[in-house]
Amino acid sequence: MHLSRLEVRNFRNLAAQVLEFPPGGVALLGENAQGKSNLLEAIYYLETLRSFRGAREDHLVAFGKSFFRVEGEVQGEEGEGAVVAVAFDRALRKKRLTLGGREPQRLGDGLGTLGAVVFAPSDVGLVSDGPGVRRRFLDLVLSLNRPGYLQALQAYRQILGQRNAALRMTGGGASVEAWDSGLVRAGARVVLERFRWVERWGERYSRYFFRISGGEAGRIRYHSSFPLAGAVSEEEVAEGFSAALGGTRHREARLGSTLVGPHRDDLVLTVEEGERERELRDYGSGGQKRTAALALRLVEAATIREARQREPVVLLDDVFAELDAARSERVLALMEEEEAGQVILSAPKESDIRLRRHTLVRWRIRAGRVET
Amino acid sequence: MSAMERLVQEFSRLPGVGPKTAVRMVFHLLKRPPEEALRLARALEDLTRKIHPCRECGNFTEDELCSVCGDPSRDRGLLCVVEEAFDVGAIERAGRYRGVYHVLGGRLSPLDGIGPEQLGVERLLARVVGGGIREVILATNASVEGEATAVFLEGLLRPLGPRVTRLARGIPVGSDLEYVDGSTIAEALEGRREM
Ligand SMILES: [Zn+2]
Repeated sequence: MHLSRLEVRNFRNLAAQVLEFPPGGVALLGENAQGKSNLLEAIYYLETLRSFRGAREDHLVAFGKSFFRVEGEVQGEEGEGAVVAVAFDRALRKKRLTLGGREPQRLGDGLGTLGAVVFAPSDVGLVSDGPGVRRRFLDLVLSLNRPGYLQALQAYRQILGQRNAALRMTGGGASVEAWDSGLVRAGARVVLERFRWVERWGERYSRYFFRISGGEAGRIRYHSSFPLAGAVSEEEVAEGFSAALGGTRHREARLGSTLVGPHRDDLVLTVEEGERERELRDYGSGGQKRTAALALRLVEAATIREARQREPVVLLDDVFAELDAARSERVLALMEEEEAGQVILSAPKESDIRLRRHTLVRWRIRAGRVET
Repeated sequence: MSAMERLVQEFSRLPGVGPKTAVRMVFHLLKRPPEEALRLARALEDLTRKIHPCRECGNFTEDELCSVCGDPSRDRGLLCVVEEAFDVGAIERAGRYRGVYHVLGGRLSPLDGIGPEQLGVERLLARVVGGGIREVILATNASVEGEATAVFLEGLLRPLGPRVTRLARGIPVGSDLEYVDGSTIAEALEGRREM
Protein backbone atom coordinates (compact mmCIF):
# COMPACT_ATOMS: atom_id res chain seq x y z
CA MET A 1 0.00 0.00 0.00
CA HIS A 2 1.18 3.49 -0.73
CA LEU A 3 -0.20 6.96 -1.08
CA SER A 4 -0.48 7.50 -4.82
CA ARG A 5 -2.27 10.83 -5.01
CA LEU A 6 -2.99 13.75 -2.71
CA GLU A 7 -5.24 16.69 -3.34
CA VAL A 8 -5.29 19.64 -0.93
CA ARG A 9 -7.40 22.77 -0.80
CA ASN A 10 -7.18 25.59 1.75
CA PHE A 11 -5.07 23.53 4.12
CA ARG A 12 -2.80 25.89 6.10
CA ASN A 13 -0.41 27.62 3.67
CA LEU A 14 -0.55 24.88 1.05
CA ALA A 15 -1.52 25.95 -2.45
CA ALA A 16 -4.42 24.08 -4.01
CA GLN A 17 -2.68 21.24 -5.82
CA VAL A 18 -2.79 17.62 -6.85
CA LEU A 19 0.33 15.55 -6.21
CA GLU A 20 1.13 12.11 -7.61
CA PHE A 21 3.40 10.21 -5.25
CA PRO A 22 5.82 7.50 -6.42
CA PRO A 23 5.42 4.14 -4.60
CA GLY A 24 8.91 4.44 -3.08
CA GLY A 25 8.24 7.90 -1.69
CA VAL A 26 9.75 11.35 -1.93
CA ALA A 27 12.15 13.67 -0.18
CA LEU A 28 10.56 17.05 0.28
CA LEU A 29 13.10 19.86 0.37
CA GLY A 30 12.31 23.34 1.52
CA GLU A 31 13.35 26.17 3.79
CA ASN A 32 11.57 26.68 7.07
CA ALA A 33 7.95 27.84 6.97
CA GLN A 34 7.50 26.91 3.31
CA GLY A 35 5.00 24.16 4.13
CA LYS A 36 7.00 20.92 4.46
CA SER A 37 5.46 19.95 7.77
CA ASN A 38 2.05 21.17 6.63
CA LEU A 39 2.10 18.72 3.76
CA LEU A 40 2.99 15.83 6.07
CA GLU A 41 0.29 17.05 8.44
CA ALA A 42 -2.27 16.99 5.60
CA ILE A 43 -1.25 13.43 4.67
CA TYR A 44 -1.43 12.17 8.23
CA TYR A 45 -4.74 13.95 8.71
CA LEU A 46 -6.21 11.35 6.35
CA GLU A 47 -5.02 8.61 8.70
CA THR A 48 -6.34 9.94 12.01
CA LEU A 49 -8.68 12.82 11.10
CA ARG A 50 -6.72 15.08 13.35
CA SER A 51 -3.51 17.08 13.29
CA PHE A 52 -0.41 15.25 14.52
CA ARG A 53 0.78 18.62 15.77
CA GLY A 54 -2.25 18.91 18.02
CA ALA A 55 -3.73 21.83 16.08
CA ARG A 56 -7.44 22.50 16.15
CA GLU A 57 -9.30 22.15 12.87
CA ASP A 58 -10.11 25.84 12.51
CA HIS A 59 -6.37 26.52 12.65
CA LEU A 60 -5.83 24.17 9.73
CA VAL A 61 -8.12 26.18 7.48
CA ALA A 62 -6.08 28.61 5.34
CA PHE A 63 -6.31 32.23 6.38
CA GLY A 64 -9.49 33.87 5.10
CA LYS A 65 -11.03 30.60 3.86
CA SER A 66 -14.16 28.91 5.14
CA PHE A 67 -13.12 25.26 4.78
CA PHE A 68 -10.29 22.87 3.97
CA ARG A 69 -10.35 19.63 2.08
CA VAL A 70 -7.81 16.83 1.78
CA GLU A 71 -8.23 13.84 -0.49
CA GLY A 72 -5.89 10.92 -0.84
CA GLU A 73 -5.76 7.84 -2.97
CA VAL A 74 -4.16 4.73 -1.57
CA GLN A 75 -3.00 1.96 -3.83
CA GLY A 76 -2.29 -1.67 -3.01
CA GLU A 77 0.15 -4.05 -4.68
CA GLU A 78 -2.52 -5.47 -6.98
CA GLY A 79 -3.60 -2.04 -8.09
CA GLU A 80 -6.67 -2.00 -5.84
CA GLY A 81 -7.28 1.51 -4.59
CA ALA A 82 -9.20 3.45 -1.99
CA VAL A 83 -10.05 7.12 -2.01
CA VAL A 84 -10.46 8.87 1.31
CA ALA A 85 -11.44 12.52 1.63
CA VAL A 86 -12.00 14.80 4.61
CA ALA A 87 -13.44 18.27 4.57
CA PHE A 88 -13.86 20.64 7.46
CA ASP A 89 -16.22 23.60 7.44
CA ARG A 90 -15.20 26.37 9.77
CA ALA A 91 -18.66 27.93 10.17
CA LEU A 92 -20.47 24.63 10.77
CA ARG A 93 -17.51 23.27 12.79
CA LYS A 94 -18.16 20.02 11.02
CA LYS A 95 -15.91 17.34 9.63
CA ARG A 96 -17.15 15.32 6.73
CA LEU A 97 -15.44 12.14 5.69
CA THR A 98 -15.99 10.07 2.59
CA LEU A 99 -14.57 6.67 1.70
CA GLY A 100 -14.80 5.91 -1.99
CA GLY A 101 -17.26 8.79 -2.28
CA ARG A 102 -19.56 7.46 0.44
CA GLU A 103 -20.00 8.71 3.95
CA PRO A 104 -19.38 5.85 6.40
CA GLN A 105 -21.81 5.37 9.30
CA ARG A 106 -19.34 6.55 11.86
CA LEU A 107 -16.41 8.90 11.49
CA GLY A 108 -14.29 6.25 13.22
CA ASP A 109 -14.82 3.86 10.30
CA GLY A 110 -12.62 6.14 8.22
CA LEU A 111 -9.61 5.89 10.52
CA GLY A 112 -6.40 4.24 9.39
CA THR A 113 -7.03 3.99 5.65
CA LEU A 114 -3.47 4.96 4.89
CA GLY A 115 -1.62 2.85 7.44
CA ALA A 116 0.91 5.56 8.20
CA VAL A 117 3.20 6.48 11.05
CA VAL A 118 4.73 9.93 11.52
CA PHE A 119 8.09 10.70 13.14
CA ALA A 120 8.46 14.30 14.27
CA PRO A 121 10.89 16.23 16.49
CA SER A 122 8.00 16.92 18.89
CA ASP A 123 7.83 13.16 19.59
CA VAL A 124 10.21 13.70 22.48
CA GLY A 125 7.10 14.95 24.30
CA LEU A 126 5.91 11.33 24.33
CA VAL A 127 8.62 10.72 26.90
CA SER A 128 9.08 14.03 28.67
CA ASP A 129 5.44 15.18 28.98
CA GLY A 130 2.76 13.99 31.37
CA PRO A 131 0.93 10.63 31.29
CA GLY A 132 -1.91 12.03 29.15
CA VAL A 133 0.36 12.20 26.11
CA ARG A 134 1.33 8.56 26.45
CA ARG A 135 -2.28 7.49 26.96
CA ARG A 136 -3.17 9.35 23.77
CA PHE A 137 -0.35 7.54 21.98
CA LEU A 138 -1.64 4.16 23.11
CA ASP A 139 -5.22 5.10 22.30
CA LEU A 140 -4.30 6.20 18.80
CA VAL A 141 -2.21 3.13 18.00
CA LEU A 142 -4.89 0.79 19.33
CA SER A 143 -7.80 2.66 17.74
CA LEU A 144 -6.08 2.34 14.39
CA ASN A 145 -5.07 -1.26 14.76
CA ARG A 146 -7.44 -3.09 17.08
CA PRO A 147 -11.04 -3.57 16.01
CA GLY A 148 -13.46 -2.46 18.71
CA TYR A 149 -10.91 -0.47 20.71
CA LEU A 150 -12.14 2.94 19.62
CA GLN A 151 -15.75 2.07 20.47
CA ALA A 152 -14.74 0.83 23.92
CA LEU A 153 -12.68 3.97 24.47
CA GLN A 154 -15.48 6.28 23.37
CA ALA A 155 -17.99 4.49 25.56
CA TYR A 156 -15.54 4.70 28.47
CA ARG A 157 -15.03 8.44 28.07
CA GLN A 158 -18.75 9.07 27.81
CA ILE A 159 -19.55 7.03 30.91
CA LEU A 160 -16.65 8.57 32.82
CA GLY A 161 -17.94 12.06 32.04
CA GLN A 162 -21.43 11.11 33.23
CA ARG A 163 -20.15 9.39 36.34
CA ASN A 164 -18.01 12.37 37.32
CA ALA A 165 -20.98 14.68 36.77
CA ALA A 166 -23.08 12.37 38.95
CA LEU A 167 -20.39 12.50 41.65
CA ARG A 168 -20.50 16.29 41.61
CA MET A 169 -24.29 16.25 41.56
CA THR A 170 -24.91 13.86 44.43
CA GLY A 171 -21.54 12.99 45.94
CA GLY A 172 -22.17 9.25 45.65
CA GLY A 173 -24.78 6.58 46.14
CA ALA A 174 -26.99 4.69 43.74
CA SER A 175 -27.10 7.37 41.05
CA VAL A 176 -23.29 7.25 40.82
CA GLU A 177 -23.02 3.47 41.12
CA ALA A 178 -25.50 3.05 38.27
CA TRP A 179 -22.62 3.99 35.94
CA ASP A 180 -20.17 1.52 37.46
CA SER A 181 -21.00 -1.60 35.49
CA GLY A 182 -20.74 0.24 32.17
CA LEU A 183 -17.56 1.99 33.27
CA VAL A 184 -15.98 -1.28 34.35
CA ARG A 185 -16.99 -3.16 31.21
CA ALA A 186 -15.64 -0.54 28.78
CA GLY A 187 -12.66 0.29 30.98
CA ALA A 188 -11.57 -3.33 31.36
CA ARG A 189 -11.50 -3.70 27.60
CA VAL A 190 -9.39 -0.56 27.24
CA VAL A 191 -6.94 -1.57 29.97
CA LEU A 192 -6.59 -5.11 28.71
CA GLU A 193 -5.92 -4.00 25.13
CA ARG A 194 -3.27 -1.54 26.28
CA PHE A 195 -1.70 -4.07 28.63
CA ARG A 196 -1.57 -6.71 25.91
CA TRP A 197 -0.02 -4.27 23.47
CA VAL A 198 2.79 -3.59 25.92
CA GLU A 199 3.22 -7.32 26.52
CA ARG A 200 3.32 -8.00 22.80
CA TRP A 201 5.78 -5.24 21.92
CA GLY A 202 7.83 -4.67 25.06
CA GLU A 203 10.72 -6.81 23.94
CA ARG A 204 10.76 -5.25 20.50
CA TYR A 205 10.81 -1.82 22.06
CA SER A 206 13.81 -2.81 24.18
CA ARG A 207 15.59 -4.11 21.10
CA TYR A 208 15.06 -0.83 19.25
CA PHE A 209 16.14 1.14 22.29
CA PHE A 210 19.28 -0.95 22.60
CA ARG A 211 20.19 -0.47 18.94
CA ILE A 212 19.57 3.28 18.76
CA SER A 213 21.19 4.11 22.08
CA GLY A 214 24.19 1.98 21.32
CA GLY A 215 23.74 -0.60 24.05
CA GLU A 216 21.46 0.74 26.78
CA ALA A 217 18.69 -1.30 28.34
CA GLY A 218 15.39 0.51 27.97
CA ARG A 219 12.09 -0.93 29.10
CA ILE A 220 8.42 -0.16 28.75
CA ARG A 221 5.75 -1.08 31.28
CA TYR A 222 2.03 -0.46 31.59
CA HIS A 223 1.23 1.20 34.87
CA SER A 224 -2.37 0.60 35.83
CA SER A 225 -4.19 2.60 38.50
CA PHE A 226 -5.41 -0.70 39.97
CA PRO A 227 -3.54 -3.99 40.45
CA LEU A 228 -3.40 -6.08 37.29
CA ALA A 229 -1.19 -8.85 38.61
CA GLY A 230 -2.07 -12.10 36.92
CA ALA A 231 -5.16 -10.68 35.24
CA VAL A 232 -5.33 -12.16 31.78
CA SER A 233 -8.99 -12.08 30.85
CA GLU A 234 -11.39 -9.19 30.53
CA GLU A 235 -13.38 -10.60 33.47
CA GLU A 236 -10.34 -10.60 35.73
CA VAL A 237 -9.42 -7.05 34.77
CA ALA A 238 -13.04 -6.02 35.34
CA GLU A 239 -12.96 -7.59 38.81
CA GLY A 240 -9.82 -5.69 39.71
CA PHE A 241 -11.27 -2.43 38.41
CA SER A 242 -14.52 -2.98 40.26
CA ALA A 243 -12.75 -3.68 43.54
CA ALA A 244 -10.60 -0.58 43.12
CA LEU A 245 -13.67 1.56 42.46
CA GLY A 246 -15.20 0.22 45.63
CA GLY A 247 -12.07 1.16 47.55
CA THR A 248 -12.08 4.80 46.47
CA ARG A 249 -15.71 5.70 47.12
CA HIS A 250 -14.98 8.05 49.99
CA ARG A 251 -12.18 9.90 48.30
CA GLU A 252 -13.92 10.25 44.95
CA ALA A 253 -17.03 11.63 46.63
CA ARG A 254 -14.89 14.27 48.28
CA LEU A 255 -13.00 15.13 45.11
CA GLY A 256 -15.90 14.80 42.69
CA SER A 257 -14.08 12.66 40.19
CA THR A 258 -13.38 9.02 39.43
CA LEU A 259 -9.93 8.15 40.75
CA VAL A 260 -9.18 4.78 39.19
CA GLY A 261 -9.42 3.51 35.65
CA PRO A 262 -7.59 3.72 32.32
CA HIS A 263 -7.84 7.52 32.37
CA ARG A 264 -5.34 7.48 35.23
CA ASP A 265 -2.91 4.96 33.77
CA ASP A 266 0.51 5.52 32.26
CA LEU A 267 3.10 3.95 30.05
CA VAL A 268 6.29 3.96 32.06
CA LEU A 269 9.57 4.19 30.15
CA THR A 270 12.76 3.36 31.98
CA VAL A 271 16.45 2.84 31.41
CA GLU A 272 18.82 0.70 33.39
CA GLU A 273 21.70 2.53 34.96
CA GLY A 274 24.02 0.28 36.90
CA GLU A 275 21.80 -1.54 39.36
CA ARG A 276 19.01 0.99 39.13
CA GLU A 277 16.10 1.36 36.81
CA ARG A 278 15.39 5.03 36.23
CA GLU A 279 12.34 6.67 34.76
CA LEU A 280 13.25 8.49 31.58
CA ARG A 281 10.66 11.18 32.11
CA ASP A 282 12.42 12.46 35.21
CA TYR A 283 15.98 11.24 34.86
CA GLY A 284 16.60 10.60 31.17
CA SER A 285 19.05 12.63 29.12
CA GLY A 286 17.83 14.40 25.99
CA GLY A 287 19.38 11.68 23.86
CA GLN A 288 17.73 8.89 25.88
CA LYS A 289 14.34 10.56 25.62
CA ARG A 290 14.66 10.95 21.87
CA THR A 291 15.75 7.34 21.62
CA ALA A 292 12.70 6.15 23.53
CA ALA A 293 10.40 8.28 21.34
CA LEU A 294 11.93 6.83 18.17
CA ALA A 295 11.61 3.31 19.55
CA LEU A 296 7.92 3.93 20.31
CA ARG A 297 7.31 5.12 16.76
CA LEU A 298 9.15 2.12 15.33
CA VAL A 299 6.96 -0.14 17.44
CA GLU A 300 3.94 1.73 16.14
CA ALA A 301 5.11 0.98 12.60
CA ALA A 302 5.59 -2.68 13.53
CA THR A 303 2.06 -2.75 14.97
CA ILE A 304 0.64 -1.51 11.68
CA ARG A 305 2.71 -4.08 9.78
CA GLU A 306 1.36 -6.91 11.91
CA ALA A 307 -2.24 -5.76 12.20
CA ARG A 308 -2.74 -4.93 8.57
CA GLN A 309 -0.24 -7.24 6.91
CA ARG A 310 1.37 -4.49 4.93
CA GLU A 311 4.17 -1.98 5.05
CA PRO A 312 3.29 1.28 6.78
CA VAL A 313 3.74 4.59 5.00
CA VAL A 314 6.52 6.31 6.93
CA LEU A 315 6.39 10.09 7.29
CA LEU A 316 9.56 11.72 8.61
CA ASP A 317 9.27 15.37 9.57
CA ASP A 318 12.84 16.66 9.69
CA VAL A 319 13.38 14.15 12.43
CA PHE A 320 17.16 13.92 12.64
CA ALA A 321 17.69 17.61 13.17
CA GLU A 322 17.91 17.32 16.93
CA LEU A 323 19.50 13.91 17.25
CA ASP A 324 23.23 13.49 17.81
CA ALA A 325 25.28 12.07 14.96
CA ALA A 326 25.86 8.61 16.42
CA ARG A 327 22.20 8.03 17.25
CA SER A 328 21.04 9.24 13.85
CA GLU A 329 23.43 6.85 12.12
CA ARG A 330 22.09 3.96 14.16
CA VAL A 331 18.40 4.79 13.73
CA LEU A 332 18.95 5.29 10.00
CA ALA A 333 20.58 1.89 9.70
CA LEU A 334 17.66 0.41 11.63
CA MET A 335 15.11 2.09 9.40
CA GLU A 336 16.87 0.99 6.23
CA GLU A 337 16.48 -2.58 7.52
CA GLU A 338 12.95 -2.33 8.87
CA GLU A 339 11.01 0.02 6.69
CA ALA A 340 10.41 -1.35 3.23
CA GLY A 341 7.38 0.71 2.29
CA GLN A 342 6.81 4.24 1.08
CA VAL A 343 8.83 6.95 2.81
CA ILE A 344 7.88 10.60 2.65
CA LEU A 345 10.42 12.77 4.39
CA SER A 346 10.98 16.46 4.78
CA ALA A 347 14.38 18.13 5.12
CA PRO A 348 15.71 21.68 4.88
CA LYS A 349 18.51 20.78 2.46
CA GLU A 350 19.93 17.98 0.34
CA SER A 351 22.58 17.00 2.86
CA ASP A 352 19.84 16.36 5.45
CA ILE A 353 18.38 13.56 3.35
CA ARG A 354 19.86 10.59 5.12
CA LEU A 355 17.40 7.83 4.41
CA ARG A 356 17.29 6.20 0.95
CA ARG A 357 19.54 8.96 -0.27
CA HIS A 358 20.03 7.29 -3.63
CA THR A 359 16.51 6.27 -4.45
CA LEU A 360 14.07 8.91 -3.17
CA VAL A 361 12.63 11.31 -5.73
CA ARG A 362 13.32 14.96 -4.81
CA TRP A 363 10.57 17.54 -4.62
CA ARG A 364 10.96 21.17 -3.61
CA ILE A 365 8.38 23.15 -1.71
CA ARG A 366 8.22 26.94 -1.71
CA ALA A 367 5.45 29.15 -0.32
CA GLY A 368 3.15 26.16 -0.03
CA ARG A 369 3.60 25.00 -3.61
CA VAL A 370 5.35 21.74 -4.46
CA GLU A 371 7.58 21.60 -7.51
CA THR A 372 7.89 18.00 -8.60
CA MET B 1 -34.98 40.43 13.68
CA SER B 2 -37.35 40.15 10.72
CA ALA B 3 -40.36 37.82 10.72
CA MET B 4 -38.58 35.62 8.21
CA GLU B 5 -35.44 35.35 10.28
CA ARG B 6 -37.48 34.53 13.34
CA LEU B 7 -39.21 31.62 11.64
CA VAL B 8 -35.91 30.36 10.18
CA GLN B 9 -34.53 30.38 13.68
CA GLU B 10 -37.55 28.48 15.03
CA PHE B 11 -37.38 25.85 12.28
CA SER B 12 -33.67 25.30 12.73
CA ARG B 13 -34.31 24.33 16.35
CA LEU B 14 -36.23 21.26 15.15
CA PRO B 15 -34.38 17.95 15.13
CA GLY B 16 -32.85 17.09 11.77
CA VAL B 17 -33.39 20.58 10.37
CA GLY B 18 -30.26 22.56 9.52
CA PRO B 19 -30.19 26.28 8.75
CA LYS B 20 -30.31 25.62 5.00
CA THR B 21 -33.41 23.47 5.22
CA ALA B 22 -35.02 26.00 7.54
CA VAL B 23 -34.56 28.74 4.95
CA ARG B 24 -36.03 26.49 2.24
CA MET B 25 -39.05 25.77 4.43
CA VAL B 26 -39.70 29.45 5.03
CA PHE B 27 -39.46 30.32 1.33
CA HIS B 28 -41.74 27.43 0.54
CA LEU B 29 -44.38 28.74 2.93
CA LEU B 30 -44.12 32.24 1.49
CA LYS B 31 -44.70 30.95 -2.04
CA ARG B 32 -47.80 28.95 -1.12
CA PRO B 33 -51.24 30.47 -0.47
CA PRO B 34 -51.39 32.06 3.02
CA GLU B 35 -54.04 29.53 4.18
CA GLU B 36 -51.41 26.82 4.16
CA ALA B 37 -49.15 28.64 6.57
CA LEU B 38 -52.12 29.52 8.76
CA ARG B 39 -53.16 25.88 8.81
CA LEU B 40 -49.68 25.03 10.08
CA ALA B 41 -49.94 27.75 12.70
CA ARG B 42 -53.30 26.42 13.88
CA ALA B 43 -52.00 22.86 13.99
CA LEU B 44 -49.14 24.03 16.18
CA GLU B 45 -51.49 25.91 18.43
CA ASP B 46 -53.78 22.89 18.75
CA LEU B 47 -50.77 20.75 19.56
CA THR B 48 -49.76 22.88 22.51
CA ARG B 49 -53.34 23.39 23.72
CA LYS B 50 -54.77 19.90 23.37
CA ILE B 51 -51.89 17.49 23.84
CA HIS B 52 -50.65 16.75 27.33
CA PRO B 53 -49.14 13.82 29.18
CA CYS B 54 -51.42 10.92 30.12
CA ARG B 55 -52.28 11.12 33.83
CA GLU B 56 -51.34 7.48 34.28
CA CYS B 57 -48.24 6.83 32.17
CA GLY B 58 -46.91 10.10 30.73
CA ASN B 59 -47.62 9.15 27.11
CA PHE B 60 -49.01 12.00 24.99
CA THR B 61 -52.78 12.21 24.70
CA GLU B 62 -55.67 14.59 24.09
CA ASP B 63 -57.74 12.92 26.80
CA GLU B 64 -57.13 12.30 30.42
CA LEU B 65 -55.84 8.80 29.69
CA CYS B 66 -53.87 7.76 26.60
CA SER B 67 -55.21 5.13 24.21
CA VAL B 68 -53.19 2.41 25.95
CA CYS B 69 -54.21 3.26 29.51
CA GLY B 70 -57.80 3.74 28.36
CA ASP B 71 -57.93 0.25 26.84
CA PRO B 72 -59.51 -2.18 29.36
CA SER B 73 -58.02 -5.20 27.56
CA ARG B 74 -54.41 -4.20 28.35
CA ASP B 75 -52.58 -6.18 31.02
CA ARG B 76 -52.01 -3.81 33.93
CA GLY B 77 -49.68 -6.26 35.65
CA LEU B 78 -47.04 -5.71 33.00
CA LEU B 79 -45.30 -2.34 32.95
CA CYS B 80 -42.88 -1.25 30.24
CA VAL B 81 -40.60 1.69 31.13
CA VAL B 82 -39.43 3.82 28.19
CA GLU B 83 -37.44 7.03 27.87
CA GLU B 84 -39.72 9.03 25.59
CA ALA B 85 -43.33 9.02 24.47
CA PHE B 86 -42.29 8.22 20.92
CA ASP B 87 -40.80 4.94 22.19
CA VAL B 88 -44.37 3.92 23.08
CA GLY B 89 -45.25 4.41 19.42
CA ALA B 90 -42.28 2.26 18.32
CA ILE B 91 -43.26 -0.63 20.61
CA GLU B 92 -46.95 -0.31 19.75
CA ARG B 93 -46.13 -0.51 16.05
CA ALA B 94 -44.31 -3.78 16.69
CA GLY B 95 -47.78 -5.01 17.73
CA ARG B 96 -46.73 -7.67 20.23
CA TYR B 97 -46.92 -5.95 23.59
CA ARG B 98 -50.13 -6.18 25.66
CA GLY B 99 -49.10 -4.45 28.88
CA VAL B 100 -49.04 -0.75 29.83
CA TYR B 101 -46.27 1.86 29.84
CA HIS B 102 -44.41 4.34 31.96
CA VAL B 103 -42.75 7.25 30.15
CA LEU B 104 -39.75 8.66 32.03
CA GLY B 105 -39.38 11.67 29.77
CA GLY B 106 -35.61 11.23 29.48
CA ARG B 107 -32.72 9.23 30.84
CA LEU B 108 -30.10 9.76 33.51
CA SER B 109 -27.57 12.23 32.15
CA PRO B 110 -25.83 14.15 34.92
CA LEU B 111 -23.80 15.99 32.26
CA ASP B 112 -27.08 17.59 31.20
CA GLY B 113 -28.20 18.05 34.78
CA ILE B 114 -30.63 15.13 34.65
CA GLY B 115 -30.59 13.07 37.81
CA PRO B 116 -33.26 10.83 39.41
CA GLU B 117 -35.27 13.84 40.55
CA GLN B 118 -35.51 15.37 37.09
CA LEU B 119 -36.73 12.02 35.76
CA GLY B 120 -39.61 11.83 38.19
CA VAL B 121 -38.51 8.42 39.38
CA GLU B 122 -40.79 8.87 42.40
CA ARG B 123 -43.83 8.66 40.11
CA LEU B 124 -42.69 5.31 38.77
CA LEU B 125 -42.02 3.96 42.26
CA ALA B 126 -45.44 5.13 43.44
CA ARG B 127 -47.08 3.19 40.59
CA VAL B 128 -45.24 0.02 41.51
CA VAL B 129 -45.88 0.46 45.24
CA GLY B 130 -49.54 0.94 44.30
CA GLY B 131 -49.56 -2.79 43.65
CA GLY B 132 -50.69 -5.26 41.04
CA ILE B 133 -47.55 -5.07 38.92
CA ARG B 134 -45.93 -8.48 38.33
CA GLU B 135 -43.19 -7.41 35.99
CA VAL B 136 -41.40 -4.20 35.00
CA ILE B 137 -39.68 -4.27 31.62
CA LEU B 138 -36.91 -1.69 31.40
CA ALA B 139 -36.94 -0.62 27.74
CA THR B 140 -34.58 2.35 27.97
CA ASN B 141 -32.31 2.78 24.97
CA ALA B 142 -29.21 0.67 24.39
CA SER B 143 -26.98 3.73 24.90
CA VAL B 144 -24.61 4.15 27.86
CA GLU B 145 -27.15 6.50 29.45
CA GLY B 146 -30.05 4.10 28.78
CA GLU B 147 -28.08 1.24 30.37
CA ALA B 148 -27.20 3.27 33.45
CA THR B 149 -30.82 4.36 33.80
CA ALA B 150 -31.92 0.71 33.66
CA VAL B 151 -29.33 -0.30 36.28
CA PHE B 152 -30.41 2.54 38.53
CA LEU B 153 -34.13 1.72 38.24
CA GLU B 154 -33.52 -1.95 38.79
CA GLY B 155 -31.86 -1.16 42.09
CA LEU B 156 -34.94 0.75 43.22
CA LEU B 157 -37.60 -1.57 41.82
CA ARG B 158 -36.36 -5.00 42.79
CA PRO B 159 -36.86 -4.51 46.56
CA LEU B 160 -40.47 -3.58 45.81
CA GLY B 161 -41.25 -7.09 44.62
CA PRO B 162 -41.91 -7.29 40.88
CA ARG B 163 -39.82 -9.19 38.37
CA VAL B 164 -37.47 -6.72 36.66
CA THR B 165 -36.42 -7.47 33.09
CA ARG B 166 -34.48 -5.77 30.35
CA LEU B 167 -34.98 -5.98 26.59
CA ALA B 168 -32.89 -8.72 24.97
CA ARG B 169 -29.65 -7.90 23.24
CA GLY B 170 -31.12 -7.78 19.71
CA ILE B 171 -31.26 -3.99 19.85
CA PRO B 172 -28.00 -2.68 18.36
CA VAL B 173 -25.81 -1.01 20.97
CA GLY B 174 -26.13 2.75 20.95
CA SER B 175 -29.38 2.84 19.01
CA ASP B 176 -32.64 4.43 20.04
CA LEU B 177 -35.79 2.36 19.95
CA GLU B 178 -37.21 4.96 17.63
CA TYR B 179 -35.00 3.73 14.79
CA VAL B 180 -35.28 0.01 15.40
CA ASP B 181 -37.66 -1.94 13.19
CA GLY B 182 -40.78 -3.57 14.58
CA SER B 183 -39.76 -7.22 14.31
CA THR B 184 -36.47 -6.53 16.13
CA ILE B 185 -38.40 -4.85 18.93
CA ALA B 186 -40.84 -7.75 19.07
CA GLU B 187 -37.93 -10.22 19.35
CA ALA B 188 -36.20 -8.12 22.00
CA LEU B 189 -39.40 -8.08 24.04
CA GLU B 190 -39.87 -11.82 23.58
CA GLY B 191 -36.31 -12.55 24.68
CA ARG B 192 -36.23 -10.12 27.62
CA ARG B 193 -34.12 -11.31 30.50
CA GLU B 194 -34.01 -10.96 34.23
CA MET B 195 -31.65 -8.18 35.28
ZN1 LIG C 1 -51.25 6.33 29.49
